[in-house]
Amino acid sequence: MIENLGFIVAAYVVVWGGIALYLISLRRRRDRAQRPRN
Amino acid sequence: MIETTAAPFPTIRVRPWLGRLAVASSLIATFMALVWAPTDAVQGDVYRIIYVHVPLAWLAYLAFFVVFLASLGWLWTKRPWFDALAVASAEVGVLFTGMFIVAGSIWAKPTWGVWWTWDPRLVTTAIMFMMYVGYLLLRSLSTDFSRRATRAAVIGVIAVIDIPIVHLSVLWMNSLHQLPTVLRAGGSPSLDAAMGMTLGICVVAFTLVYFAFLAERMSIELDRQRRMLEARA
Repeated sequence: MIENLGFIVAAYVVVWGGIALYLISLRRRRDRAQRPRN
Repeated sequence: MIETTAAPFPTIRVRPWLGRLAVASSLIATFMALVWAPTDAVQGDVYRIIYVHVPLAWLAYLAFFVVFLASLGWLWTKRPWFDALAVASAEVGVLFTGMFIVAGSIWAKPTWGVWWTWDPRLVTTAIMFMMYVGYLLLRSLSTDFSRRATRAAVIGVIAVIDIPIVHLSVLWMNSLHQLPTVLRAGGSPSLDAAMGMTLGICVVAFTLVYFAFLAERMSIELDRQRRMLEARA
């Protein structure tokens, strides 16, 4: 059993989760910017 | 006279490749960090948090140094391209600094016994984070493009002073945080070769992620600038 596994998983989830969320945010901003305006 | 840039940086051909390279190198880096790198003799496996913590710290420094250079560029030339670079780098830098603080806090609990302590490195990093959050907030206060960019650029030039303070705080003051492991004055990195190689790959992977985000965010900002100037014309 790996010691402190929960801490390791938590750190990696925070970092890669944060990166994934920012990527989604950039995609949404890009889509919004490309949508034609009325 | 404010002019917008016709060709966004980097060109459309470069951006997808940068993204693919960032994803591929991140997968390799994560495998090396969690599986390939040996277990530390003192800390055990929890030390593996170093493979995200240190690259994020390096990128926080890089991102805010880019803000400094771009701010100088704006003040010198008044080209909107520099303002777009500054805001893009500041935003990515704030994201990485926030994650670097949280990952550090998660690492601190099993090693120091606390989530947070008023240690010089932690405090100066938190100040750096707040300074750049303030920089982004300041940008939303004015609708005048030129005035907003100039105010932000002045902050971007001044705020860079915190980077060496953060890095050297562990040498200047008594600190619970360990001394610099990689960027040490007058010495090679104090790391096992396999650990050092893994850390190097992780730094490369996160740097590619930074440049991929920077290119995408900059492109959005340049589009926004162009629409704003077209609406004004």
